[in-house]
Amino acid sequence: MSNQPGHQHPLTQMIDEINHIFAEIGFAFAEGPEAETEYYNFDQLNVPKDHPSRDMQDTFWFKDTDVSEPTVLRTQTSPVQARYMEKHGAPCKIIVPGKVFRNETTDATHEAQFYQLEGLHIGKGIHLGHMKGTLEHFFSKFFSGKTEVRLRPSFFPFVEPGVEVDMRLLEGNSKLAGKWIEVMGAGMVHPNVLRNSGVDPEHFSGYAFGIGIDRLGVMKYGIEDIRDLYSGDLRFVNQF
Amino acid sequence: MIVNYNWLKEYVGAALPEPTEVAQLLTAHAFEIEEVEEVAGETVIDVDVLPNRSSDCLCHRGIARELATILDVSLEKDPLQESPVLIETDKISVNITDTEACPRFTASLVTGIKVGESPDWLKTRLESLGQRSINNIVDATNYVMYAIGQPLHAYDADLFPQVDGKWQFGVRYGNEGEVVEILPEGGSTEPRQITCVGTELLIVDESSNTPIGLAGVKGGQFAGVHTGTTNIIIEAAHFHPTVTRKTARRLGIVIDASKRFENECSRELPPYAQSEIIELIKQTAGGEYQGTIDVYAHKKENPAVDVRVSKTNALLGLELTQDQIRDIIIRTGSAVSEKEPGTLVCTGPWERTDLLIEEDFIEEVGRLYGLDNITSVVPATDVAVVVNPRQYYSEKIRQTLLGLGFSEVITSSFQKKDQIQLRNALASDKSYVRSSLSKNMHQVLDANFFHMDLLGIRSVQTFEIGTVFDKVNAGGREGALGYKTDDGVSEHLSLAVGVRQKGGGYTPKDDAPLQAAITSIEETVRANTPFKWSIEKGVAEIDLSAVIDSLPVPESYDAPVERTAATYSPVSPYPAMARDIALWVSEGVTDDAVMQAIKEPAGDLCVRIDLFDEFTKDGRTSYAFRIVFQSQTKTLTDVEIGEVMDAVNVAVEEQGWEVR
Repeated sequence: MSNQPGHQHPLTQMIDEINHIFAEIGFAFAEGPEAETEYYNFDQLNVPKDHPSRDMQDTFWFKDTDVSEPTVLRTQTSPVQARYMEKHGAPCKIIVPGKVFRNETTDATHEAQFYQLEGLHIGKGIHLGHMKGTLEHFFSKFFSGKTEVRLRPSFFPFVEPGVEVDMRLLEGNSKLAGKWIEVMGAGMVHPNVLRNSGVDPEHFSGYAFGIGIDRLGVMKYGIEDIRDLYSGDLRFVNQF
Repeated sequence: MIVNYNWLKEYVGAALPEPTEVAQLLTAHAFEIEEVEEVAGETVIDVDVLPNRSSDCLCHRGIARELATILDVSLEKDPLQESPVLIETDKISVNITDTEACPRFTASLVTGIKVGESPDWLKTRLESLGQRSINNIVDATNYVMYAIGQPLHAYDADLFPQVDGKWQFGVRYGNEGEVVEILPEGGSTEPRQITCVGTELLIVDESSNTPIGLAGVKGGQFAGVHTGTTNIIIEAAHFHPTVTRKTARRLGIVIDASKRFENECSRELPPYAQSEIIELIKQTAGGEYQGTIDVYAHKKENPAVDVRVSKTNALLGLELTQDQIRDIIIRTGSAVSEKEPGTLVCTGPWERTDLLIEEDFIEEVGRLYGLDNITSVVPATDVAVVVNPRQYYSEKIRQTLLGLGFSEVITSSFQKKDQIQLRNALASDKSYVRSSLSKNMHQVLDANFFHMDLLGIRSVQTFEIGTVFDKVNAGGREGALGYKTDDGVSEHLSLAVGVRQKGGGYTPKDDAPLQAAITSIEETVRANTPFKWSIEKGVAEIDLSAVIDSLPVPESYDAPVERTAATYSPVSPYPAMARDIALWVSEGVTDDAVMQAIKEPAGDLCVRIDLFDEFTKDGRTSYAFRIVFQSQTKTLTDVEIGEVMDAVNVAVEEQGWEVR
C-alpha cells in the first residue's frame, strides 16, 4: 500500500514522448523564458502594435515599474523560434514544449495557462511537403497508428503561406479513428520573421507549427476538463 | 461574416453550386465555415473570414469574388467592375487636417427623398444577416456595407447647418478633454459621452467646429435621419486602420464599421459605395441625386511583386509550370506579366490590400491549386541531436521520485499574493506570478490528504518541476537558459517535493521520507556544487536551474520509458467513504483470495480494496483490508454502507473466516 510507485503527470509524460519522437528525426528540444518581452512575443514575429492580428491572443502584461521593457507572460512558444535562430542561425530543427498564458476566461476547454508544442525546421529547400510528412510521422507515433494530415488555408502573422492542420487516425479502435480533427496552426515561416532573426529568406526556408499539448492529452487520454491538469489533484494524476 | 446565399448567387450567377458545396469549396480553398443555416427563410453561411482577408471579404461581393476565383468563373454581376460616374458638387466642403489618417472623404447630396419602410426583399436580406430593418435610408447604408464592405453614414441635410452655401465637413483630432456624444449603445437609450484623450479622429461640422462623430468608430445623433427627413447627405470615407483601432479599442467599441476600417478595406471603395447607395435610394426612397464631393489626398497603389516559379515550388513542394502559376494568379483578379522566363510580375486587384509580397502570391497559388496536392516527405532518421540538459535531468529526477512513490503535479503559475504583480490579472486571487512552488505544494498536500483512502496511499507524496519568477536588480544577470534576463523579472526552474502523513498538517514524521527523496535526487544527478534546499514543514524546494547548470551536457537521452496506455475517467465530485475489515483465515489462504471474496458483496459502489496489515500466528493469518466506496451520482450515507458491510461480513463468515 505504501510502496507503490508514484504517477507521472500526463503533460510531462507527453512531453517526454514527444521529445523522443522528434529527437529520432533530428529535432532538438529548445526553450525560452515564460516572462517574454513584447518584442519577441509579438513584434519580432510580425505581429505589429495596434494591428488586428494582436487580437488573436489576449495577453497578461507585467507592470511597467517591474520591467525595463514591455514584458508579457508569453502567449505562445513561438518567440523561442526567433531566439533560437538568432543564437544558432540556420539550418535548425527544434521543438519547443512549454507553458504559455492567455488572459481568457477559463472553462473545460480553456485555461489561462496551458502547454504548447512549437516546431521549427529551417534549411535549404524545406517546403510544406516536409512539414506534412513530419507531422504525419509524429501523429502516427504519438497516437500509435497510421495517421494522415490535411492542410487547409489559414492565417497567422508569422507564417506565409499559413495553414490549418487536420489529422485523421486511419487505424485502431480509438474514438479518434477515422475522423478528421482540426489540431493545429502551421505554415512556412514568414520572411520578415526570418530576416528579423538574422536568417536570409533567399537562402533558407522552413516551416513552423504550434499545437496545444493539453489538447493532445484530450485526444490521447480522453481528458474532459483541461483544468484538471493544473489542479494538483492526485485523483486525476494517479490515473496516469 | 454571415453571408446570404441568394445574395452571393446574384453576384456569382448560375455557376454557384448548392450551399453545402459552397461551404466545402470555401473550407478547402479559403475560409472555415462555422455553420450553414436557414434564417428568415433564407440560407445563410457563417464564414470565418481570415484576418488577412478581412480587408476585402467582410462583404458579399468579396466572398462572391472568392468563390468565382475558386470556381474559375467570372462574376455575373460585379458592383466593383465599372468605375463609378459621379457628378461633382460645390455645395459640400471637406477640410481634413491629417490626410494620412483620413486619406479619402466623399459625401453626396440627395434631395426630395421620402423616408419610409424598406421593400420586403431588402428587409429580408438584412434580417437574414441578423440585422433589424430601421428605415429605407439607414437600411441602404447597411445594405451597401454588407454588399461591398464600405461603411457609410447618412445625415439629414436640413439639420446640418449650411453656411456660406456649403455643408462644411471637417476631419480633425479631438482635443484633450473635449466631449463627444455618440449614439446609444448596448440597449441604452441615452447617448454615450466620450471624453477625448487627443488620439481620436473626429468628424466635425466645420462651420461651428462641433464634433458629429468618432471617425470610423461610431456616429453621433447630430443631424440624424428621421421620418420627416427629405434631404440627405451620405458620407463614405476611408480612415486609417491604426487610428481607428486605437479609438475603438480604448472605448471598447467593435462594430461592423470599425472592424472594416481596422482591417484596411480599400480606399478605392468610397465612390463605388456612393454609386451603389445613390442607385438603391433612388429605388427605395425616390429623390434626386445632386452631386458628390470626393477629397482623395493619398492614393495607395498595390505593389508590383516579382513572383518566381522556383520560389513558388520551393515553398509549396510542388512542380508547377510558369503557365499554371500565371493562370492561378490571374484567377484572383491580379494583373500578371512575364518579367523574364521564370519570373512573373504580379499586382493584386485594387480591393485586395493583402497581396504585398511574393509569399502572399505563393499562398494564393497553393490554396487555389489545392493544398491536398502537396505530397508528404517522410522525415529521415537523424539521431545527432544536442541533448537538452533541463529536459534530461528533469526527467531523471522524475523517474527517481516516481520510484519512491512520489506523484507529479503541475500547479498554477498565478498566486493571490507574491513578489510580482501583473498589470491585468484575470482575478484578484490570481494577480501575482509565483516566486516559489512551496505554497502550492502545501495546498496540494492538504487537499490530497482527504483522498488518501480513495487513492490507496498512506501518505501524500508529491513533487512539481516548474518555472518561478522573481525580481532582479537593474543590470540583470545571465539567465539559466542562456538568455539575458535584464528586464527586471528573472525566472528559473524550481523543484519542490512534499510529504504529508497526518490530517492536521506537518508532523516531524514527514521528515524521514522527505530526506530520503532528497538523498535519492542528489545521488541521481550528482552535482558538483552543494545542493541548496530550503526545507519547511514537509516541503523541500531547490533552484533546479542552478543545479542543472552545474552538470555536464549528456551525450544522449536515456531510452524512452515504457508507458502503459492510460484510461481516464472523470473524478467523482462526491466524497469517498472507507471501512476497514480484519479477519482470521487459515494459513495458506492468500490475501488475493480474500479480496476476491469481499469484492462481490461489496458491490458496484466499492472503488478499491487495499490490504494494509498482515501477520501470521498459531497457524492462522490475519488480514486487514480497507474498503473504499464512492458514487458518481450522490453522497453516500452511513446506513447505506453499513448494509453493504453487513453483507460483506456475512459473505466472509460463510467462507469460515472469522471477522475480528
